[in-house]
Amino acid sequence: MVPLHYYLVVSAILFFVGLLGVLTRRHAIIVLIGVEIMLNAANLNFIAFWRFGPNPDLLLGQLFTLFSIAIAGAEAAVGLALVIAVYRFYKTPDLEKMTSLHE
Amino acid sequence: MIITFSILSAIAVISALLAVRLRNLVHATLTLMAFFVALAGLFILLMAEFLAAVQILVYVGAVGILILFAIMLTQQVTGNVKEHIEAHGALWGLAGATAVLLTLLLPAILKTALPLQPVVETIDPSVRALGLNLMAPYTIALQVIALLLTAALLGAVVIAISPEKSEEEKKS
Repeated sequence: MVPLHYYLVVSAILFFVGLLGVLTRRHAIIVLIGVEIMLNAANLNFIAFWRFGPNPDLLLGQLFTLFSIAIAGAEAAVGLALVIAVYRFYKTPDLEKMTSLHE
Repeated sequence: MIITFSILSAIAVISALLAVRLRNLVHATLTLMAFFVALAGLFILLMAEFLAAVQILVYVGAVGILILFAIMLTQQVTGNVKEHIEAHGALWGLAGATAVLLTLLLPAILKTALPLQPVVETIDPSVRALGLNLMAPYTIALQVIALLLTAALLGAVVIAISPEKSEEEKKS
């Protein structure tokens, strides 16, 4: 079996990549993609700890991940709707040009 | 098993990097889907087969298509080639993300004594047990999630609907 460390390191690197996307890109959709990558890295952590934990039969990690995936789905829908609404107002998806909260 | 793990995690990391670095948004979304599939493979390696299926259905099926639709509705796939894709102060962002990785995440993982082998060697297929768990102790959580998803989808429609059109509907 692959040791738990390896999964956690891969998950940490994926979280880093997602953070990189959020912090360095200016396109709103790419920022959302970065958020999705970070959420998935966290899910990988949940599953890895569940598999290596003392009571995998209780399925706590799997259930938590299931709920986490559902919430991530809701987040993606609302986030993309916000991107579309903001795009309609500013005519650009560039986050740097969105500088005010109202007209 | 270590070979499968290495291949899957290499695909996951490389496609995630491409997803946040590519200029073309559609290509970025497609590499993001490859990332989701590789992660589903890692779930199967960890014997969470139902979650691998959920991962494919929800992320590749729903979220990926949703992102493609958002790209289509915002009309700028590649943007101006000469235009910068990085935000101002992207170097600070890179420094911050690297600092988080090197000072928080990796030391915490490497300094902690973690199990090298799983306690339980084999796990039975868990779909039935998952369903039973959702019906008996986690019913409230399931219903809250259902409510949340309904509210989120309604909210998404309300946010994304165009304001001019809704005013016309009010007049008519």
